[in-house]
Amino acid sequence: MSSVTVKIPTPLRPLIAGQAELKIEGATVGEVLKKIDSQYKGFGDRILENGTNVRRFINVFVNEDNIRDKKELETELKAGDTISILPSIAGGNAG
Amino acid sequence: MITIPASLLRQIYDHTESSYPYECCGVLIGTTGQDKTVHAFRVCKNLNKERAHDRYNMDPLDFLKAQQEFENSPWEIIGIYHSHPDHPSRPSQTDTDAAHEGYSYVIISVEKGTVAKAQSWLLNGAEKKFYEEEISE
Repeated sequence: MSSVTVKIPTPLRPLIAGQAELKIEGATVGEVLKKIDSQYKGFGDRILENGTNVRRFINVFVNEDNIRDKKELETELKAGDTISILPSIAGGNAG
Repeated sequence: MITIPASLLRQIYDHTESSYPYECCGVLIGTTGQDKTVHAFRVCKNLNKERAHDRYNMDPLDFLKAQQEFENSPWEIIGIYHSHPDHPSRPSQTDTDAAHEGYSYVIISVEKGTVAKAQSWLLNGAEKKFYEEEISE
């Protein structure tokens, strides 16, 4: 089991009692996110769609790798990794 | 209210004007709370190449690098700026659909290559509606 740091952006901090980061253990990204959800109800719904995919307006990085370019929630972790949950920023004057 | 020093605002305007007729974007770095103040900004790439004239998708790696750069400082990412070439500085439906509560969204209208107006907006997540916040220089 790997202990990793999870960094949470400002918009999502109210979901985890205002904390900017958490230390948590898990073998994959999905496992870590599920653990956080079990401690802070509602967290998983904001990050995941149907509990299986990262929502469109959220990006999850392990160190500097977007998990969409890896194995999504099955992306494996090693001790000392940093998971960054980032809001996906988009928009524009159309629409 | 959000304070953006005039010198920083001018540099942000320069980015939006040099990017015209395409949309550009970046992150605002500073402090929140009662004295919400921007102390720095970082340019981020617009990954939307097909519709860069009216859409933007901020490069998430640029966002991450900005976050990492300031994580051991008293400052953090407090907002986003982006330009609206030849459109008003009001949030579009696209902006609203993609917005996150908690950030200031500064929208800069660039008319024919020159900044016409800048406004800052805050999302009310429950209402899915933006409300304007005053920009102080």
